[in-house]
Amino acid sequence: MKNMKSKAKLWKKIMLAVLSVCLLTPEVAVRADSTVPYDSYNYDYWEDIVFTPAPYIPDTSVSGTTIGVGSFLSPQDLCVSPGGNIYIADTGNHRIVEVDSKLSSAVREINGFVRDGVQEKFNQPNGVCVSQNGQIYIADSENHRIVVLEESDLSFVKIIENPEADVLPENFLFVPLKITVDYADRVYCIAKNMFQGIMVFEQDEFTGFFGTIEVNVSVWDKIWRKLSTKAQRSKQLLFIPTEFTGIDIDQKGFVYASNVDTWGKQAVRCLNPKGQDVIRKGENGNVGGDLVTSGTSDYSGVSRIVDVVYRDKGIYSLLDSRRGRIFTYDHEGNLLYIFGGLGTQAGTFTTPVAIEAVGDKVIVLDSYRKELLVFKETPYGRLINEAVGLRYDGDETLAVDMWKQVLMLDENNELANVGIGKAYLTAGDNERAMKYLKLGMSRQYYSVAYRRYRNEFLKEYLGYILTGLLAVIVAVVFVLKYRKKKKGVYEEEGGAFDV
Amino acid sequence: MSKYFSKAKVKYMFYTLTHPMDGFYEIRHRERGSVPLAVVSVILFSLVYSMNKMVASFIVNDTDPRTVDSLDNLGGVLLLYLLFCVGNWSITCLLNGEGRLKDIATALGYSLVPMTLCYVLATFVSQFVAQNEEGFYTIIITIGTAWTVLLAMSGIMIVHNYSLAKTMLTLVLTIIAMLIIVFIVMMLSDLVNQVYGFIYSIYTEILFRN
Repeated sequence: MKNMKSKAKLWKKIMLAVLSVCLLTPEVAVRADSTVPYDSYNYDYWEDIVFTPAPYIPDTSVSGTTIGVGSFLSPQDLCVSPGGNIYIADTGNHRIVEVDSKLSSAVREINGFVRDGVQEKFNQPNGVCVSQNGQIYIADSENHRIVVLEESDLSFVKIIENPEADVLPENFLFVPLKITVDYADRVYCIAKNMFQGIMVFEQDEFTGFFGTIEVNVSVWDKIWRKLSTKAQRSKQLLFIPTEFTGIDIDQKGFVYASNVDTWGKQAVRCLNPKGQDVIRKGENGNVGGDLVTSGTSDYSGVSRIVDVVYRDKGIYSLLDSRRGRIFTYDHEGNLLYIFGGLGTQAGTFTTPVAIEAVGDKVIVLDSYRKELLVFKETPYGRLINEAVGLRYDGDETLAVDMWKQVLMLDENNELANVGIGKAYLTAGDNERAMKYLKLGMSRQYYSVAYRRYRNEFLKEYLGYILTGLLAVIVAVVFVLKYRKKKKGVYEEEGGAFDV
Repeated sequence: MSKYFSKAKVKYMFYTLTHPMDGFYEIRHRERGSVPLAVVSVILFSLVYSMNKMVASFIVNDTDPRTVDSLDNLGGVLLLYLLFCVGNWSITCLLNGEGRLKDIATALGYSLVPMTLCYVLATFVSQFVAQNEEGFYTIIITIGTAWTVLLAMSGIMIVHNYSLAKTMLTLVLTIIAMLIIVFIVMMLSDLVNQVYGFIYSIYTEILFRN
């Protein structure tokens, strides 16, 4: 009995030793992205999912307490000022918080403003934006107004409220949600229950709608409606345009607005100053997030794009709240990379609501977790961003080095292959260009390269080919003649070919 | 073997391609066709079809080469061929068709030859076309398909000694017959499965009783 007890003790000791060794030794074979709590992937030409290295990895998370202003409450919007500071619309706490560009501490907390000597407060501000001219625009939703303050000293500038126009319904209640301002201080505002489009204000006056989304009613819907009775029709869903969800603007005054698309085809619009959609769609004609969306669970279905951020050099990112993904496209509508995911781990979202980009970082605001999640660029992401930027500027040859490095990290990257192929094409190396363009599945440029290659080939070898052809023809003619002769003899001998 | 694949039979197959009226008539009435040869033609067609999907130039070919399974294609084509022959035969039996099953099979198999040849040619040509020149490729495929359709139509017409209108009618009915066959086969296999399941459960029941 005693012997057994000591044996058990010994075992315990051994186990403990083994365990501690296991715990203390760092893991040897760790995949490079194993610390990233989400999958990074992209879609290839066949619209199959291909996994890629992570373009962005979680960096830090910033909450109200870490920057010293107390916890946020259901924050809804995020904006970067021209100076680089970050403004957060802390909706539930009725305040706007300004954070320094390193996200280390709060610069100030805007709880209200002084108008005509009277202190006024915000009521659930849903959106915030800082104009290039240094003014803060606040969508003071439940007070039904847009408040404009000077960024420097928070002095009151003006208020935009009670928009009046024939196109607006009577007793229309103006509830601004998201706003953005262009270089000429035109205000673009997404208002609640306003399906006609984005509301535009010039010099405090409502001037009209912008970028109206057309309703498309399918033939099937029409037939179904024709067949149903009046009572049934009154219960059916109305055909109303989808709502805009988020808005951003580039330096040239093009408005990027995200919207909910039930078909998952186009979840973002790029509106020129006339309000026309000038977005470019890539190879598969899709700027709507995920391409593979089948399934019946809550997690499946088309991406629900809630915000858009215009970054730089034609690159923009969409934030999907259904699966917590961030989709990044270039100015041609090519999907560059996808990262992010839902979850409760650090670096994942619960309810992402707004996205912004500062330098090499992407910041996402999660309203339920009351946090800003910061993602930083990896070498892979940086290479793609830079290469796309160079192409945007027209320096495709300079981009080749970047694309080659991208290929080292992600061998099947189609954009990289096309980029390299195009460069070889310009350099006149048609054979290599063909190889890369085919890998990049670019029919158009492959064809150009092939045509040039074919011309070169013919120029060099046409003489030989024609000579060879002539020789073959002569040979055939001779053989035929010879055979005829032989056959003639054969038939004369009485062995006529009969079947 | 030599009876089916003799030089004369093969030659006669090519004669039929250009002289369908006489050709199919003699296949029906003078035993100049060969069913095995027709089946070989069908197999060749399926192989050539798979090859086209796999190696036709990137410019004209929008199929992911990884998704092409030549054995799958072979099975599909042979099954369709069998279905069509049986379907056509069962309809024409009821509609005073003179053709026997072997005549239908021969006519159909022979008429696939132009398509096979044109697919080979088109696949070859596709290696030398650039964008905007796909016309060369498509026209070859179109010619081959049209030729095959015409041959099959005239083949069935002549083998059964039908008028054109009656041929059309029987073709529509053939398709319906094919669907019925597929339905019955599926139902039958399901029923057999159920019977098997029943017997198997009795077997396990007996096995676990003692």
